[in-house]
Amino acid sequence: MTTLPTTSYPCAVSSEGEALATAESRVTEDWLAVWIGLFVFALSLSLLAGIDLLGWAVTTSVWTLPAKAMAPASKLYAHVPASLSLVGTYFFLLVVLLVAAKALGVDLKRFAGGFTAIFVVSYACWFLGSWAYIAATPDKRAGLKIAWSLNLTNESGFIIALLAGLVVGNFLPGVARAIKEAVRPELYIKTGIVILGGFLGIAALEQRQLAASVIFRGICAIIEAYLIYWPIVYFISRRYFGFSREWAVPLASGISICGVSAAIATGGAIRARPIVPIMVSSLVVIFSVIELMMLPFAAQHFLYNQPMVAGAWMGLAVKTDGAAVASGAITDALIRAKALAATGVVYQAGWITGVSATVKVFIDVFIGVWAFILAWIWSAKIEPRRGEKVKVVEIWQRFPKFILGYVATFLIVLGIGVGFPALIPKVRASMGQANVFRAIFFLMTFFAIGVLSNFRKLWQEGIAKLAAVYVLCLFGYIIWVGLLISWLFFHGVLPPVLKGG
Amino acid sequence: MTEPRVGEELKKMESEYEPLLPVERKLIWYTFSTGVVLLAIFVLISRWFV
Repeated sequence: MTTLPTTSYPCAVSSEGEALATAESRVTEDWLAVWIGLFVFALSLSLLAGIDLLGWAVTTSVWTLPAKAMAPASKLYAHVPASLSLVGTYFFLLVVLLVAAKALGVDLKRFAGGFTAIFVVSYACWFLGSWAYIAATPDKRAGLKIAWSLNLTNESGFIIALLAGLVVGNFLPGVARAIKEAVRPELYIKTGIVILGGFLGIAALEQRQLAASVIFRGICAIIEAYLIYWPIVYFISRRYFGFSREWAVPLASGISICGVSAAIATGGAIRARPIVPIMVSSLVVIFSVIELMMLPFAAQHFLYNQPMVAGAWMGLAVKTDGAAVASGAITDALIRAKALAATGVVYQAGWITGVSATVKVFIDVFIGVWAFILAWIWSAKIEPRRGEKVKVVEIWQRFPKFILGYVATFLIVLGIGVGFPALIPKVRASMGQANVFRAIFFLMTFFAIGVLSNFRKLWQEGIAKLAAVYVLCLFGYIIWVGLLISWLFFHGVLPPVLKGG
Repeated sequence: MTEPRVGEELKKMESEYEPLLPVERKLIWYTFSTGVVLLAIFVLISRWFV
């Protein structure tokens, strides 16, 4: 069985064909995301013991006066200047990620330089996206004394960070090369997802029946994604585009399941040459960005009265963990703003992102199982080799470990809340502080995805035919079936309403 | 890693098409039909019981 690359974005190929993924290391980004996420989560829980270890972290509110935009997260640190809070947040993340970089075996100086640039640009985008004329929702305009705004919420900073990343990735190759050691969208998004687990745990505590329903429907929806997406995409690429089995399997997996991870895992399962899933993954990243820039706005326009359908749709239709959860976060903000403007309903934040993340996490869980099934079929029926057996342990080897962190933070918060209801307000405050870091990790994910998306790949010789299958299947089948499945399972399921309705 | 000439390889694939094997047809058909049946069952469960 082919050994799988340990880094999560081996597809990320620079314009010179140079892999942006780093040197081989025994530690994977997957496990590092678990430990970093749990570390932030554990620090935030210190509030339960009456110690505020993360309250100094910087938050940015919707602003009209730049000087009043930033502040420490906790009132306990209200006396700390915002600039010091920002610098402290930067140094905290730098130290934590340098430890991770050391474990990955990358050049620490280059990593520190790259991370500094990514943090500065990403946070500047967040700051700009929080400008009242861009971010303010209609109910906030009077308080901010402004007559109009784009109603995009401060999550518009994500879009600005993505655009900034695209500029760097496509027009400033020298800068992209200089920061490449720190361009790690999968590490950032997986860390963010681990922290998100605790945040969703709080939401689940408050709405247990709804949370159970979302989890059940999420599991149903992803089983369908495997069984209904994959065979059709495989058939189209084999029958109508004439792809060989070696190309068709990673292509079908990349388009229909979970982009990069699935293309690599299933490519390895059928013994495809490594370049095959890598080429497929390049397309996955590019089209994920296209989806990320289109689908949340389509969802806002057409699905603002069915927010959970929109969240599930992002999880089912947008490929790669980073882009899917990022799309969920943007959709969450856009739909809540639109619902408020159009109907006066204020939905609780986080549920749409939560549905996207839940669906995506369950999809990831089954990648190893699907790769195992394909490996067995290929080795037993299609390309049998004497004395070769597929081992069950490979399911575990391909299991995305960051999911363990996500489940752990979710269950710990749920357990504390169920066992000690009096602690729920403190746990909520803890998760609020952890969420500050979750937002920063998401923000850096957007920028990093942009940097890695080299649209010139589309014009390379040979990519056109792959892209044709991708376009046909993604925009002609996956997106619409994903919408149908999301509608069937989540139609009528609404997030908690805070006001109106 | 050097990239192979993907364009040439894909053109070659057209002339050297690997026909769908019976086991591939079974994989496609069984997977899809299982998906459709499960879809109906899960939708009913999610509407009636959850």
